[in-house]
Amino acid sequence: MAVMPMKRMTIIAMRRDRKQLLEFLQRQGTAEIDTDTEEDGRYKKIDVSAQKQIFEKNIRSMEDALEVLGKYEPEKSGLLSSLAGRKTLTLEEFQEALEKRDNVLSVVSKINSLYRDYSESLAAVPKAEMDKEALAPWTGFDLPLDFQGTKKTVSFIGTLNGQLSLEDIYVMLGELCECPDEVDVRIITTNDTSTAVMFTTLRKNEDALNDALHRMSFTKAPSQASVSEGGQPLTPAKAIERIDAQQQRASAKRQQIISDIKGFADRREDIRLIMDYFKMRSDKYDVIGKLNQSDHVVIIHGYVPAVDADKLESALNDRFDLACDFSDPEEDEDVPVKLHNNAFAAPVEGVIASYSLPGKGEIDPSMAVAVFYYFFFGLMLSDAAYGIIIALACGIILKKFKNMEEAVKKTFQMFFYCGIATTIVGFIFGSFFGDVVSSVAQTFFHVPEATAGKLLPPIWFNPLDDPIRMLTFCFAVGLVHLFTGLGILMYQDIKNGHVLDAIYDGLFWYMFVGGCVVLLLCLPMITGMLGLSFTLGPTVKTVSIWVAIIGFIGVVLFSGRESRNWGKRLAKGLYGAYGITSYLSDVLSYSRLLALGLATSVISSVFNTMAGMVGGALPVVIGVILYAVIFVIGHILNLAINALGAYVHTNRLQYVEFFGKFYNGGGRPFEPFEEKTKYFKVKEEI
Amino acid sequence: MSMGTVWALLGAALSALLAGAGSAIGVGKAGQAAAGVVTEDPSLFSKVLILQLLPGTQGIYGLLIAFITLTNIGIMGGSADMSLHKGLLYFAACLPMAVVGLISAICQAKAAVAAIGLVAKKPDQFGKAMIFPAMVETYAILALLVSILSIFGVSALA
Repeated sequence: MAVMPMKRMTIIAMRRDRKQLLEFLQRQGTAEIDTDTEEDGRYKKIDVSAQKQIFEKNIRSMEDALEVLGKYEPEKSGLLSSLAGRKTLTLEEFQEALEKRDNVLSVVSKINSLYRDYSESLAAVPKAEMDKEALAPWTGFDLPLDFQGTKKTVSFIGTLNGQLSLEDIYVMLGELCECPDEVDVRIITTNDTSTAVMFTTLRKNEDALNDALHRMSFTKAPSQASVSEGGQPLTPAKAIERIDAQQQRASAKRQQIISDIKGFADRREDIRLIMDYFKMRSDKYDVIGKLNQSDHVVIIHGYVPAVDADKLESALNDRFDLACDFSDPEEDEDVPVKLHNNAFAAPVEGVIASYSLPGKGEIDPSMAVAVFYYFFFGLMLSDAAYGIIIALACGIILKKFKNMEEAVKKTFQMFFYCGIATTIVGFIFGSFFGDVVSSVAQTFFHVPEATAGKLLPPIWFNPLDDPIRMLTFCFAVGLVHLFTGLGILMYQDIKNGHVLDAIYDGLFWYMFVGGCVVLLLCLPMITGMLGLSFTLGPTVKTVSIWVAIIGFIGVVLFSGRESRNWGKRLAKGLYGAYGITSYLSDVLSYSRLLALGLATSVISSVFNTMAGMVGGALPVVIGVILYAVIFVIGHILNLAINALGAYVHTNRLQYVEFFGKFYNGGGRPFEPFEEKTKYFKVKEEI
Repeated sequence: MSMGTVWALLGAALSALLAGAGSAIGVGKAGQAAAGVVTEDPSLFSKVLILQLLPGTQGIYGLLIAFITLTNIGIMGGSADMSLHKGLLYFAACLPMAVVGLISAICQAKAAVAAIGLVAKKPDQFGKAMIFPAMVETYAILALLVSILSIFGVSALA
């Protein structure tokens, strides 16, 4: 129920043992190892970047291989399978599996090279398609496309822009060439945008024709595409056949590659295991590179939770020749923080950690945070049915996936408790899917409205009927929350031996704020506004005035106590007393408990009313179905949006209002040297 | 049907309209930022989704105010007859949610966009990133509260 006490660990071991030693520490995962120690003359750090690079390269290629496998042989995985957590292996199983390491590495490089071949083959497809397209107009042509002519004649084979007739071409030739009569034009094919043509003329006219064609923007036929593998010219039809055959072979090869890759799918687990192994080794080398070592000795400093220290010490001594020492840390050391709480409070540790872990001299606020967290969430969601849904969903997931990672597990546990709180609050304020009981009764059983409303009576009262009463309740809860924070501040001060600070910063504020609150409750105007039925007597009023005044004077005198100059000190004190306004705004901030609670129930009844209007107007069977459809969609929407709101604003009330009173944080999280793997973890009992 | 109902309905419509429009703008802006982050790191989807939704609550609050106004003035069944005076009271009651809903949703979107940027760079700081936009929402909640209490108050008047 607190911040775990830590021991400072010093291990002096033989250098030859360092790897086994670190592997052992890594598997235990209970020790944090200092990595920013200074070098000195005798002890130096060694460079491990070369080894690390190899490991990282291996990890990358395994990631690639797994990705390829995932692409062609996707794993069947359920929606929640990511919650299953890492599989646990014993040390023996792990070591046995490691023997397959080289084999796995060769499988990985096989997969990767197969995939490279596949990609290359695939990359050649567009070019073949383009060639085929370019050859298409020439299919009926019976000469190779690079045909140049005979001894006496010369031929130009290619395309002209536009859909042209023989006549058009001769007209153009007549304009551009001196000897159109000596040119033979043969149109091969024509389409909307181009015409494939063969020009033939005598050798002496070659230059003239060439020049004319140039000006007609003549494009030569794609002769490169129409050669055989041996470089022999082919006719276009044959060339297309050849390309098709080639494509077919390539595609068959690709099919083969894919089925080869699929054949490796059963090695997936092995690859994962070896990948995790390299990840561990890479992490280990990271640490080795930061340790001070001489030729024969290595020194490891770090922190271990005190509860684990004895066990670790004896296990280390059993396994290695080394000297280890576990001592209490010095006052001014930057000791890492790890929280430890019972099952009720532990789930909110994550909430605290995402603000900041307790700093020096601060206590672990988990218990107080947990109580208020669950309660506020409940008040804001405030619907029994929603609570049951959340609690059930989290409960089932927790039961089904026992091996879940710790942080994820805590989140689900937190929402489980939030769900239970929501259920309780929901029944207290009479909300079950909003007013579904009364809505169904009215729509389908024609119960009159007045009776229907009483079918599921709230245990206390319905905030919709009396929002002011609920508002008062929320303010009261807020005041309790703030005073709890102040109480923790006092406890912290007393625990650290600053009793006077506890009085100045805690007690005086209790008197000041508490006195003012009681005083307000003595005024009939205020009680009338808040809908309270009681009025406090004049004695209470006098007492509260005096308590508030003493508190006020105390705050004025002492909140500026670090200033020596009395003028300055009083000025600061007065400014400190002005902080009462922040109490006012803090308390008002708790009105969100009411607002969000009302939002849930009003939106629920919006959907219920809509469902009732549709369902009631139609024949029973269709009516029931439509009612159900609107009901389900509406409530899923409402649950999602309001659970989000409740979560966000519960956090806000903790972080801003509650922590503002006593908590600064700033603790450094405890980061043990452990197996930061993805798929497997190795467990070794000690 | 009297002039009072017209004013009251105008109030209800405005609160759904302005707050809804504000949320639409806000969620849209935050959504653009969120989509950008997901292109870089798809695993942040759930976190940025939550941040994207934060400016969406104003629209819900606006709907809520519109709905309780509608039920109270008898548009959703019952007699829709009220004095001009009372209609104007309803209209005034809806105004906080309408105006604050519009403005706060847009401002909250700016904070949400910045928070999404924060999560993109430091995913572990999600808890803090969430609080910044939530601070803006406080004012929407206060407006919601004033509108709800006013509507209940007005309907209790004769």
